[in-house]
Amino acid sequence: MNLLPLRLVFSHMLLLLALMLPGCAARPSNSQPSVAEEEDFNDPLEDTNRAIFDFNQVVDRNVLVPVAKAYRTVLPDPVRDSVHDFLNNLRAPLNFVNDTLQGDFKRAGQTFARFTLNSTVGVGGLFDVAGRWGQLPYHEQDLGVTLGVWGVPDGPYVVIPILGPSNPRDLGGQVAEGFADPWNILVTGNPWTLYWIPYVRGGVSGIDQRSRYIETLADIERTSLDYYATIRSLYRQRRAALIRGERENLPPPASFSRIDNPAAIVAGTNLAPRPALVSEAPNLSEVRW
Amino acid sequence: MTRRSALIAALVLIVGALAPAILAAADPAGVISNLGNRALEVLGKNVPPAQRVARFHELFRQDFDVPGIARFVLGRYWKSATTEQQDEFVKLFEDYIAIVYSSQLAAYSGETLKVTGSRADPEGAIVASEIIRPTGAPPVKVEWRLTDQHGTYKIRDVAVDGISMAVTQRSEFSSVIQRNGGQVQGLIAMLREKTGTAPGR
Repeated sequence: MNLLPLRLVFSHMLLLLALMLPGCAARPSNSQPSVAEEEDFNDPLEDTNRAIFDFNQVVDRNVLVPVAKAYRTVLPDPVRDSVHDFLNNLRAPLNFVNDTLQGDFKRAGQTFARFTLNSTVGVGGLFDVAGRWGQLPYHEQDLGVTLGVWGVPDGPYVVIPILGPSNPRDLGGQVAEGFADPWNILVTGNPWTLYWIPYVRGGVSGIDQRSRYIETLADIERTSLDYYATIRSLYRQRRAALIRGERENLPPPASFSRIDNPAAIVAGTNLAPRPALVSEAPNLSEVRW
Repeated sequence: MTRRSALIAALVLIVGALAPAILAAADPAGVISNLGNRALEVLGKNVPPAQRVARFHELFRQDFDVPGIARFVLGRYWKSATTEQQDEFVKLFEDYIAIVYSSQLAAYSGETLKVTGSRADPEGAIVASEIIRPTGAPPVKVEWRLTDQHGTYKIRDVAVDGISMAVTQRSEFSSVIQRNGGQVQGLIAMLREKTGTAPGR
């Protein structure tokens, strides 16, 4: 499940946010190693985060959900699928680089094959032929995951206005990707004619993501005792799972016998050889825990 | 000789009659496929909500290690709770989970659960499964952690996409407790409210 429903890839906006949050990247992540018995949320900015979370909730309820619902109502399934597939295909160059940087050449090859197939047979990425008929499913990938695989700690949990849950590592990754994205580079050469393209892409991507989780997130919010804490846990576990590379797997059994947190599990398993995983992470659209 | 074969025949008959139940409990993959079959048939869309909650309770109690999960999700606060609080928490937790997940499962119709494999785990086994969707969407991969309790397997945790139900629940509950000044009573009060349970049940 992508818990970045509001993951808009505006490089300019992210740059702005990076400038707004200079303290975060510098803060050490494991600031309280002594409190072993305490559940480690790694959330020293919790009060601020909760305030931003509340603000995001207002925006979500009043703007994003209505827009996502309208999007889902107005456009038929095949059109929305094509939008989704097209956006995923645009991610291919960055995903390829990240697969390679992680030493996962099998998945890098898959990403390359997907991009080649979908861009040609799939009419510029509008149809995910590689995933549907080629047994080459899309996999979630980004620079934050790569940094995690390399052992970079996530740092404190932060909630970004509009964009939602993150941490310095993942946010830094997103900013860097905004600059490294070949499509963004392609259009920045023409600042007055094509500058809007990354914004539109970011906006549509956000609406696409949000429209996939309308019921799931509403259900989680309705049934949870502390929605903020639930989302925080889901985000951190999901990121940890992506870094483990065992996307559909349970966390290691150690999590059951002692008090710890997903980040610690990741830190421990990072040292172990990482099995290359072929299958795509299925979207957690109807199931939740 | 004849007595022995008669005995064997009797044994075979008895075992044959009991086999599905015994095998299901003794084989972790069997527990899951059995649960999947029953869950999807008793929790479907056409079942009235009250009945669905009741049936979920039944399945949850039968196949899940409810006291073990309750203890885990309370984390370090389990020890600081009084015996009465622990007992009430286990009851409320079961009710809460029934409400949360039976409403989730209500959305299912036409899905089937397929066990795709299992492997050993320090305290029992991990069973991998897929929820096959009638829409043709990619199957949802679900993993189950089971503990071996004197030859009977009970479910301890469920995960999708690397997100564990038990870890999520524990994280939320301990956040609630921390925000209530470290008092388990605060969590119990919230659970009572969510489940519509009068205090001192």
